[in-house]
Amino acid sequence: MKVTDLIRLSGRREWLQSTGCGFGGIALAGMMADKFATANLISGEFSGSRPAGPHFSPRAKRVIFLFMSGGPSQLDLFDPKPYISRLHGEKIQPPIPGHEVTVGVDRYLALAPELPIRPRGQSGMLISDLMPHLAEVADELCLMKAVHTDNEAHAPATLQLHTGASIDVRPSMGSWFGYGLGSENQNLPSFISIHAPSDVRTFGSGFLPASHQGTPVSVPRNAQESAIQYLQGSGTSADLQRQRLDMVQRLNRRLLDKVTTDQQMEGMIASFEMAFRMQTETPKLVDLSQETQAIQQMYGIGEGRTDRNARACLLARRMSEAGVRFIQVTMGGWDHHGNIRGALPQTCAETDKPVAGLIKDLKMRGLLEDTLVVWSGEFGRTPWSQDLSGTSPIEQHGREHQPESFCAWFAGGGTKAGLTFGQTDDFGFLPVAGRVHLHDVHATMLHLLGIDHEQLTHRHNGRDYRLTDVFGSVVKEVLA
Amino acid sequence: MNWQVFSMRAPCMMATKRLCSGWSDVLFRLGLLSSLLSANVQVLAGAPSDDEVRKEYFLKNVVPVLQKHCSECHSHQSGKAKGGLVLDTRSGWEKGGDSGPSVVPGKPEESLLIAAVRYRGPEMPPTGKLSDEEIGVLERWVADGAFDPRTTAANAGPASSDMESRRSHWAFQPLTMNSVPDVRDSGWSEAAVDRFILSKLEARGLHPVSDADRYTWLRRVCLDLTGLPPTVEQIEQFIGDESPEARKNVVDRLLKTRSFGERWGRHWLDLTGFADQIGTANDVFAEHAWRYRDYVIDSYNKDKPFDQFIREQLAGDLLPFESADQRAEQLTATGFLLLGDLTIVEADKAKLQIDVVDQQLDKVGRAFLAMTIGCARCHDHKFDPIPQDDYYALAGILNSTQSVHKAAWGVWSFPTEVVLPETELQRAERMMQTVQHQQRLEVLRQEQSKLQASNTEIDAAIQATEATLSQAALTARNAARSEGDAATGTGEGAGADSTSLSTTVSLLKKLRDAQSARLRKLNEEVQHAVFFAPKPPRAFAVQDVAEPADMKVTIRGNAHALGKTVPRGFLSVIGGEPVPNDAAETSGRRELAAWLVSEQNPLTTRVVVNRIWQKLFGEGIVSNVDYFGLPGEHPTHPELLDYLAQRFMVQGWSQKQLIRELVLSRTYGLSSIEGNNDAQKADPENRLLWRMNRRRLDAEALRDSLLMVSGRLIDSDGGPALPLEYPENSGSLDPAAVNPPFFRLGRFRPEQHFERTVYLPIVRSAPQSGPGELRNVFDFTQPAEFSGQRSVTSVPTQALFLMNSTMMSDTARALAERVLESPGEDRQRLEFLWLRTLGRPIEESELSESIAFLEELRRGLLTATDAGSELKCWSQLCHALLASNEFLMRL
Repeated sequence: MKVTDLIRLSGRREWLQSTGCGFGGIALAGMMADKFATANLISGEFSGSRPAGPHFSPRAKRVIFLFMSGGPSQLDLFDPKPYISRLHGEKIQPPIPGHEVTVGVDRYLALAPELPIRPRGQSGMLISDLMPHLAEVADELCLMKAVHTDNEAHAPATLQLHTGASIDVRPSMGSWFGYGLGSENQNLPSFISIHAPSDVRTFGSGFLPASHQGTPVSVPRNAQESAIQYLQGSGTSADLQRQRLDMVQRLNRRLLDKVTTDQQMEGMIASFEMAFRMQTETPKLVDLSQETQAIQQMYGIGEGRTDRNARACLLARRMSEAGVRFIQVTMGGWDHHGNIRGALPQTCAETDKPVAGLIKDLKMRGLLEDTLVVWSGEFGRTPWSQDLSGTSPIEQHGREHQPESFCAWFAGGGTKAGLTFGQTDDFGFLPVAGRVHLHDVHATMLHLLGIDHEQLTHRHNGRDYRLTDVFGSVVKEVLA
Repeated sequence: MNWQVFSMRAPCMMATKRLCSGWSDVLFRLGLLSSLLSANVQVLAGAPSDDEVRKEYFLKNVVPVLQKHCSECHSHQSGKAKGGLVLDTRSGWEKGGDSGPSVVPGKPEESLLIAAVRYRGPEMPPTGKLSDEEIGVLERWVADGAFDPRTTAANAGPASSDMESRRSHWAFQPLTMNSVPDVRDSGWSEAAVDRFILSKLEARGLHPVSDADRYTWLRRVCLDLTGLPPTVEQIEQFIGDESPEARKNVVDRLLKTRSFGERWGRHWLDLTGFADQIGTANDVFAEHAWRYRDYVIDSYNKDKPFDQFIREQLAGDLLPFESADQRAEQLTATGFLLLGDLTIVEADKAKLQIDVVDQQLDKVGRAFLAMTIGCARCHDHKFDPIPQDDYYALAGILNSTQSVHKAAWGVWSFPTEVVLPETELQRAERMMQTVQHQQRLEVLRQEQSKLQASNTEIDAAIQATEATLSQAALTARNAARSEGDAATGTGEGAGADSTSLSTTVSLLKKLRDAQSARLRKLNEEVQHAVFFAPKPPRAFAVQDVAEPADMKVTIRGNAHALGKTVPRGFLSVIGGEPVPNDAAETSGRRELAAWLVSEQNPLTTRVVVNRIWQKLFGEGIVSNVDYFGLPGEHPTHPELLDYLAQRFMVQGWSQKQLIRELVLSRTYGLSSIEGNNDAQKADPENRLLWRMNRRRLDAEALRDSLLMVSGRLIDSDGGPALPLEYPENSGSLDPAAVNPPFFRLGRFRPEQHFERTVYLPIVRSAPQSGPGELRNVFDFTQPAEFSGQRSVTSVPTQALFLMNSTMMSDTARALAERVLESPGEDRQRLEFLWLRTLGRPIEESELSESIAFLEELRRGLLTATDAGSELKCWSQLCHALLASNEFLMRL
């Protein structure tokens, strides 16, 4: 039975309102051979609740958000400070009014980056030798060097990056985008989170309708691994499972026949059919072997260190091509409290080629124009070192978290390619120009998608909420 | 004068700015200011000299500039106060925005407004610099003392008359005494409740549908009261009981079970943001959180009067007590204020403190009053009659309460722990445990030192042997060299001795490494044992600070920008009296609780009875159980709501009595299946209750029911949820660790797989794991928020869980085993299965369909010579039944 039949069966469309499309829609999307053949299967009905539209003409249609979990060190990657390099290993006196001192930083020793950060491309954007692949696409990036956020701990900062608030339960930005714009492809969920962070709020829909929640996906490396939880049965053959499912549906319809109408029941009946199809269709969707060797290599698929992120980035491109509105890819490993000189090159190696590969691929396909790529951690790291043991030599020190300023970049989607915006002080600690709060980043992202961040609101418990809280302004300087 | 007005379109939320961000602003501006001071700034001579002239100058020259260039973002008229600043009243620029006052009269060089229009610092207006002439007008105005006669502005927030009209909102009115209405069909109603419902229906020309059958009623009341379906025996007993007391007997029995508190206590926990984790950062375990959870369950089971329940949770530490038990109970109760999502990492401790207070105030407002008091943190409430002063009157009470304290190191803070008084028995028990613990520790330490000593010996032996070896090698090499034959200089001379010595070294190293591995494990065990040594019982609980005091308004929620002091007190819309003088030495929490439960406060009782109603009927009389404010919905049956609220108070705030009365009403017993065309047309959402609402089971009821029907549910009497006794489940126990001790849920106690869900660990920062993972799929509450009603979604993930999870297949198999234990043919077994899972007799058509299903499977499966194939067939059928809507719902 197709979903269309189910709709006919119920004779109504209300069931969709209580039915989150979850991952189910994907199964129907057919990103397979006959790419969009089934695209309008149930045209327009999946958006369920209040599909909005842009407030003005958008520059971008979709977002790929590359979340660098842990807090990448901007001082080693994008923001060199001669003052710090000159004083490497010596005590400095940074401006940190009213701060509690954390463990291992009380000596305030300047820590220089190990590898040079050089001008790249036509734009001369500064990028470290640690990211040679990204350096190749420097002219596509729009680097913000003075971004700041409110909290210095991973969990609240991660939550703020994703929901605007560092505490409480608010809708994640991916769900706001879906809520504001609906889905580009009615059969796809508007929001996918690849290798999602552990906190479910980062892809949750909060008080927005459940249909806007993100679907967590992992990219399977083999046939035994499943892209989403509970996708594979426990040792029951497909035939047997179908027989059992038919029995469930017979019982369900019997009960439904007794009541005049019930959205909940109809929603579950539809969900079962979707879920059943997902089992066969999803593996095809996430099967990256359909991509050419050249493309796979460009991302770094099959290379030990890059493989996981490469698969995630390539899947992100496939999803964006098919019309998913917001795709998040999480890449971890950036939390370098100790031995940053040993560990940072590893993390860079794991992410550099996949990320650059994604930019190149999008560019090649003409997708970069209307795809906004965002690269950011939840915060940055201190210019002074951290030494948890208190006894190791400076070369083995790491860096502490720093919410006061850090680097993030945009690419494509109507941002100014090659622009470096904002400046920090001699320490690389406080912004001195072009200061951008995460709320401003959110406002700018919404703006690029054609949404006025002050207009996109949702009423909950008597109040209107928005992604940017009562804050945020569009960073006009970064708009192309 | 309300100077802080935000965009009316903008949402209004607490505005909390980090000190640091504020600071960098200030630093930034100070730099600019100093450069300004050195500049040659022209101050105009011949300024107007008296107020009339000043006024004229102001109105003629200054106002037009402000209106033209500033009012779009900084005025009441536009409804915008960017950066917290409005410029259309004198008080607006006096107070200024986030960066402080904008104008210092007479001092243009110190006025941020002037710096901004000069484009030195924040560049205002951002759309383009003013003309020199316009800048001159503003400079001259400031230099001359900034005369500004404007005291009020249009739309300056809720005027006092507006506040007055808001006060007339239904929720703030005293409870009305309503007589039970007359109805035409007087024979229909069984309880007063029924007549309230029926009279509304009759007024619309409607009539309720028929009663639900007795099977449906029994399953309904069992699930609603205990979260568990009835057993086959209970069904048979009830159906066999034809006395008029049959239903009463069932209800009275259910109210006495421990399961009642397990179900209703969980409802309460939803309002507290309860988890077994402190805050969200770093998986810090809330070791004693379970005591609060058990306290809540016990309170429901004891039918503790709800007013007392409130008093204990807000001020248990300040209440008199008669025994160690009572003291411990009351202290534990205050965990209410601590066990939600608390901020615990924040370098700026002043900010942390006001954020904690805000979280507590939000919880108190939501749980007891269904108000969003937090809205008034930065400005008067937009919709409700809650001025900003009210927020700080209440906040002062919680700010005088010690909830968190700074950890010894770093930026961490923790909820306050108190040692609970022990009974003699508890003490004796602990003494015994201490002895056992020390014995165990002794054994571990002995092994530790034995291994350490042995390793030292081994190291010495290795060293000696290696020295011998290298000496031998050297000798051999020298010998070879002296023979002048470098080519054969391979140390022939060392020979066999050397080989065996090498073997010895490698064996010794192996032994040492094995012992080191064991030592590492031992160290962990010792560390774990020391950390979790038997201690007197402790709980997370609050206490008053040393010097309770009134609180200052924080400007836009900035802990470092303080305004006037507000005396501690309560919501002005309900009494609003200050905390009495004789209580000023304390935080005032006890008085806060007393105000909440006073007869003059109509909100608390309305809120609590509405919550109870919603849990039983599916929809509240006020449909949003968490918000009774002006933009919220009005009650569908206001007279009934007040009737119940009053009755609740008269009956000594007994929740059990109210619940009993409600479930024994005829309304509660209506069919949820039967249709009625007229009613469906007139009231499709069933807000008038012409039938019972159908509801999907919540996550706990679903998992617990699955365990019960498969015969695997085990009783528990509570206790620690986190299995921290397994060393692998925790880390950072070393006192020198940089981060606080944390947990990971890798291993569960065997019994946790079969205990009721309310006892399982609750994580805030990640999906629920292990035996409780079902909660991730079926709309479990977000333990970071306070919410009295869960959402109900149907998403394919749920279908996938029902089809493919091991929880479902294990349950189906266990249920099939139970079925196969019962004697008889398929027919009898099916009858048993239906009764056990759906609580009703199987219908004839279902019987034939099921037999056909079994036969079909048997044909397929029995071809395989599998002894368990009968079990497999039945497992499939059981699985189908457990995944069906009827099982998932309470009809």
